[in-house]
Amino acid sequence: MQFAPILSALRRHRLATALIAFEIALACAVLCNACFLIVQQLRALHVESGVAESSLAVINLGCDDCKGADLNARVTTALRAVPGVQSVAVVNAAPFAQPTGYAGISLDREHFIAVPHFYAGGPGAAETLGLQLMAGRAFQADDFQTAESWLPQNTSVWVTRAFAQRLWPGQDPLGKEFWSDKYHFRVIGVLAHLTPPDPGGGHGDSAGEWSVFAPMLPGDSLHGVYVLRASAIDLPRVLREARVAAQRAAPEAVLDLQQSRTLPELRADFFRQTRVMVGTLAGVIVALLLVTALGIVGLASFWVQQRRKQIGIRRAMGATRGDILHYFQTENFLIVSAGIAIGIVMTFALNLLLMKFYEVPRLPVYYLLAGAVVLWALGQLSVLAPAMRAANVPPVVATRSV
Amino acid sequence: MRYNLMLAWHGLKRFPRSTVLAVVTVAMGLAATMTTLALLHQLTADPLPGRSSHLYLAWVDTVRAKPTQNQSLNGITVDQRHRIKLRDAEELLHDHRATWQAPMASVFTQFKSDGDKPRKGSDYLLATTSEFLPMLGVSLRSGRSWTPAEDQAHAPVVVIDSEMAVSLYGTTDVLGREFHLGHGVFRIIGVSAPFAPQPHFYDLASFTFGNLRRDQAFVPLRSLLDAGVDLAGDDGCDVDSPKPKTLFTSDPMYCASVSYWVDLPDRAKASDFLAYLQRYLDNQQALVGAGHARPAQLTRVDAWLSQQNVVPDNVRLNAWLAGSFLLLCMANVAGLLAARFLRRSAEIGIRRALGAPQRAIFQQHVFEAAMICLLGGFLALPLTLFGLWTLRLQDSGFTDLATLDPAMFGALFALAFAVGIITGWLPAWRASRIEPGLQVKSA
Repeated sequence: MQFAPILSALRRHRLATALIAFEIALACAVLCNACFLIVQQLRALHVESGVAESSLAVINLGCDDCKGADLNARVTTALRAVPGVQSVAVVNAAPFAQPTGYAGISLDREHFIAVPHFYAGGPGAAETLGLQLMAGRAFQADDFQTAESWLPQNTSVWVTRAFAQRLWPGQDPLGKEFWSDKYHFRVIGVLAHLTPPDPGGGHGDSAGEWSVFAPMLPGDSLHGVYVLRASAIDLPRVLREARVAAQRAAPEAVLDLQQSRTLPELRADFFRQTRVMVGTLAGVIVALLLVTALGIVGLASFWVQQRRKQIGIRRAMGATRGDILHYFQTENFLIVSAGIAIGIVMTFALNLLLMKFYEVPRLPVYYLLAGAVVLWALGQLSVLAPAMRAANVPPVVATRSV
Repeated sequence: MRYNLMLAWHGLKRFPRSTVLAVVTVAMGLAATMTTLALLHQLTADPLPGRSSHLYLAWVDTVRAKPTQNQSLNGITVDQRHRIKLRDAEELLHDHRATWQAPMASVFTQFKSDGDKPRKGSDYLLATTSEFLPMLGVSLRSGRSWTPAEDQAHAPVVVIDSEMAVSLYGTTDVLGREFHLGHGVFRIIGVSAPFAPQPHFYDLASFTFGNLRRDQAFVPLRSLLDAGVDLAGDDGCDVDSPKPKTLFTSDPMYCASVSYWVDLPDRAKASDFLAYLQRYLDNQQALVGAGHARPAQLTRVDAWLSQQNVVPDNVRLNAWLAGSFLLLCMANVAGLLAARFLRRSAEIGIRRALGAPQRAIFQQHVFEAAMICLLGGFLALPLTLFGLWTLRLQDSGFTDLATLDPAMFGALFALAFAVGIITGWLPAWRASRIEPGLQVKSA
């Protein structure tokens, strides 16, 4: 295929060619960056909670003047009596529910180095949640102590693997210590996963899976939030009955309906905005590809109509249908390639802009490659119909005047 | 010019397929842009038109403690401190240097109605002083607001809004009835219209946007504290403050836990007030002899909102995305137009040869482009309304504000027109440069 005649033909349509190339460039920039954002959001959507999500539900009671121990006793008894409930435990928070335990910690009692979320759970909480211990030991009865406020003064805790890596890179975290204000913690176990209640929310992107799980006896500083486990199929019914049972057991407390849900519901709710964002971005991408394709089709059809006579002459001079088809395909390939060349610059410029304002990481190069391939394919696909029409122009057209 | 308009109209009709294509493309770009812009417009609107230009947040740092640093970790910015201690608020209230002034804090708490079978609820209510209602222009449906004397006397009175009255008592005729808060019994002295400025600028720490969340009742601050209800949070406490009952409560006398808003009629008064605040702060420092205080601050509503960055990031991001999509549509349409105009080279050549100036050719083609884009604007209107409707279906706290007000309705057509002119400019210029002689010959 010879490029020279194509290029000279394009030179006669500089403006339209340039505009389409610019459109391809813009499409390339938006496409790559939007896809990148989608992948980022999807990664956030699929965060591992580290608990047995599908069979867990939360009951959240607010009560300003209740005695913690009394409330816990009444409510846990009532919840255990609900048919289908396998176990019940008192916790301070659950993944995707309201966060309550963010606190800054230090390794030397002086310099704060991170803000993890502290989960606190009564006896049986770890088992009810279904936490997976990777290393270390389970809690024993004497690990559970009462606390006057927040947590016990000295607590043996579990931390997530990710958080242990952050605090003690490359070392065995078992037996290590850290402080938060006057509270002292010793690591006795490492969890594979346990997400903070609001993964990625509010506490900075770097704070990935930074969670601590602390055992304590339920009482004045641990009451009101209950996690219950039932089989996944039974869960919706169990939750309905548990809500009624909890309200009946503690009529003076207010049941928080927003927070008293199954974990799958809480998760869906927590990520609603992210899903909307993914939907919007996907919509933009589809609309963008559609418009670009329509633009190419429109312009190519126009040119085919305009060049009917020239095509007829070429055919009369012995050019095959394939030659004509290839001519338009090559022309499209050249325009799209030019667009992609400009697009590469624009893509990175847009990425830099996003990095500056929206905490987006740098765009990996393979997104550009994928974007280019998609645009080339799109170009070839959209030019196909007009090019076929061109190939079907009969040679006899050459003999007619106009 | 009329002739050129007519020619443009004929031009449109000559290639109906590509005209439809261009109109649809423009409409899609316009609709996407307008949907996101309308939401952005609502979110950045003035929360209290006519009032917010003279409302200021006053802040003095008198907390005697090391600045807490655990907030600055994980990449969060510090210095979001904006609340003051109740002790200072009372001094400032006593001096009464502004037209209106009131300390305030939104509190999420439980409450119940009177009677044998009281109805219970828990929601936000606003703890403040007597001048809040006139300062922010909360309108009363019936009854009255409380007086400074009642503030002084810690009178247990409350103003609730009409919707809360209906949900708790079943009627708005509730004056004189009892309202239970904490361990106190409050008498209802006024019923207000629901008050929900967007955003909830005077206490962003509690919540920002949403028609559903609002302060449902107004309670004198001191009476609420007397009833044992705690204020929500604080920006730090004195080192020597008494030990709190539990971890999450704090004593507002020692902890910075109220926002202090003042109404100042003009800039001169505002700078006087700032000077007064600084003097107040200097005297305090002499009193306690603590170091590292920051200067007093007075922040107007607009500055406050931009400082707090209340508009959600993804709303802005979507607006940018939609904008680049519109640009893409424009490039697309411009390409189509260029091809279509140049196809008419022969006619243009004849018009030019017959004496039409370049300007006329240019005008004709710009008109044609503008017409396409205005048609696109008409088509974009239902699309935009549809887009906003789908946005409202997503319940993410602020999307219920997604509506098209008259200003944005006008903006849609202005944008369509502008897009038409810009899109048509280049192709029309190119068409007007066609050499008449060459074209006439080849035709």
